[in-house]
Amino acid sequence: MMYGGSGTQSRRDLAIEYQAQIPTLRPSIHARRANMTVKFQDLYGFTVEGNVDDVNVLNEVREKVRQQGKVWWALEAEKGANWYLEGHISTTLKSSLKISSLVNAITLKKLIRGGIPPNLRPRVWFSLSGAAKKKSTVPESYYNDLTSAVEDKVTSATKQIDHDLPRTFPGHPWLDTPEGHAALRRVLVGYSFRDSDVGYCQGLNYVAALLLLVMKTEEEAFWMLAVLLENVLVNDCYTNNLSGCHVEQRVFKDLLTKKCPRIAAHLEALDFDVSLVCTEWFLCLFSKSLPSETTLRVWDVLFYEGAKVLFNVALAIFKINEEKLLMAHQVGDVINIIQRSTHHLFDPDELLTVAFDQIGFMTTTTISKQRKKQEPAVMAELDQRIRRLNSNSNDK
Amino acid sequence: MASSGNKNINAKLVLLGDVGAGKSSLVLRFVKGQFIEFQESTIGAAFFSQTVAVNDATVKFEIWDTAGQERYHSLAPMYYRGAAAAIIVYDITNQASFDRAKKWVQELQAQGNPNMVMALAGNKSDLLDSRKVATEEAQTYANENGLFFMETSAKTATNVNDIFYEIAKRLPRLQQAPNPSGMVLVDRPAERAAAASCCS
Repeated sequence: MMYGGSGTQSRRDLAIEYQAQIPTLRPSIHARRANMTVKFQDLYGFTVEGNVDDVNVLNEVREKVRQQGKVWWALEAEKGANWYLEGHISTTLKSSLKISSLVNAITLKKLIRGGIPPNLRPRVWFSLSGAAKKKSTVPESYYNDLTSAVEDKVTSATKQIDHDLPRTFPGHPWLDTPEGHAALRRVLVGYSFRDSDVGYCQGLNYVAALLLLVMKTEEEAFWMLAVLLENVLVNDCYTNNLSGCHVEQRVFKDLLTKKCPRIAAHLEALDFDVSLVCTEWFLCLFSKSLPSETTLRVWDVLFYEGAKVLFNVALAIFKINEEKLLMAHQVGDVINIIQRSTHHLFDPDELLTVAFDQIGFMTTTTISKQRKKQEPAVMAELDQRIRRLNSNSNDK
Repeated sequence: MASSGNKNINAKLVLLGDVGAGKSSLVLRFVKGQFIEFQESTIGAAFFSQTVAVNDATVKFEIWDTAGQERYHSLAPMYYRGAAAAIIVYDITNQASFDRAKKWVQELQAQGNPNMVMALAGNKSDLLDSRKVATEEAQTYANENGLFFMETSAKTATNVNDIFYEIAKRLPRLQQAPNPSGMVLVDRPAERAAAASCCS
């Protein structure tokens, strides 16, 4: 991501290459003194630029991840492997009032908000999101059959996918290799044939790429993408005119007015439409804006609690920057404040604490009602645009 | 909307055009003086700003570089609403992208700000051997529709600064300026000076 401004060039000139293969990063004393920007690779291989404070934050985060890992493994030792499935099933089906299940469910929600350790993530996501269940309803060979059947087909979706492969996190040490491109291609092309309404929508390339990095196996990444589009997110987020995305944007604007009235009023006075910055968040699920571990912490909660989580996080980003935003008087400044903030949110807890403790409780039911309320207006607006364009081209 | 204050003007500018026409590359060349073969695909839109000087005024462009995929077009009104200028980009090696550009022009004529300065950019002018859209054809179309036209190359920097500078000069707020000459304000003058001249 880039933003304009004269500061960028000088920072780049000062930047020193800094590879962090070791668990703890130690910027040199010179870097400290000069408050230089250092470049390093994060846990998932993304090159990150930050100052010495950012590096310190990242080291703290690594330590917290280790601690959180111990908590999860201790629970596993105490309650048995896959204990989290038990808690989840009883809350969704409400079939069991066993105290142990309820305790598990409450513990689990809290634990997940605290973060799933990276090495447990593939397993926990796959179970809790419903991806495992989805996969179990089709023959074992489904993914292999699908990908080999569509391998040589050419559609507008496959053309767009091929165009985007080298443009998806370019420079990443695995994603941007022939092997990475091939895996991403199989997942995206396979999905485009599974759901021809979605086909391929730009943005999914980033989501699928990050899923590939987390899930380790390509097939599991495919099922995570499927469960995300078919069950977790609202319908039509990525279909022909992105109507689902338009609905989410309207719901978000209402929520911002309710939850952050000062910011909403100030931005409105600047004639600043928050969708200008939020659309990408909702389509890429923050993967293009937040540092990787922070994005994945958002996804931890997303897969367990559902799409309403995206609103909590988006509101939190505005909330965190409230004072700065109220001082901004130009559109460009608003965007720079938001983008600088998101790129430097290396501490996931800083964001998630605000998202879940300060924004206030929002139930899935409330959000669903809001969506229902906005749908007719969105449909009318989209129809009207198409009609205007058609009548316009008939005139010519 | 272009707004003035002490001869400093802020002008919202939107780039529209088919996927892969080179919208992001044009912006990157203009704002950072760089060219990258594989640019991250744009989702929604990306924002940039850059300032140019025209006579004794400065124009700060607030640039919205939009996503090209067809289904993203439903988002476009958000980006061109209130825009003082638009660059409609096509790829000279791709006839379909030129047809798409014409549709954008129609949409802006019908929905956009009536005083909007519109530029048509035939990008990838360095790929002469693969040309599919004749310069004359685009020039004629531009004349008929009140656009100004340039062929650009984000790769070689040809006409990139020029097109933004031309837009700045044509902004209604600057129309009364007595002396239509000026320069681009830059942090790296050498690179900027390398930009070739206008071909319209």
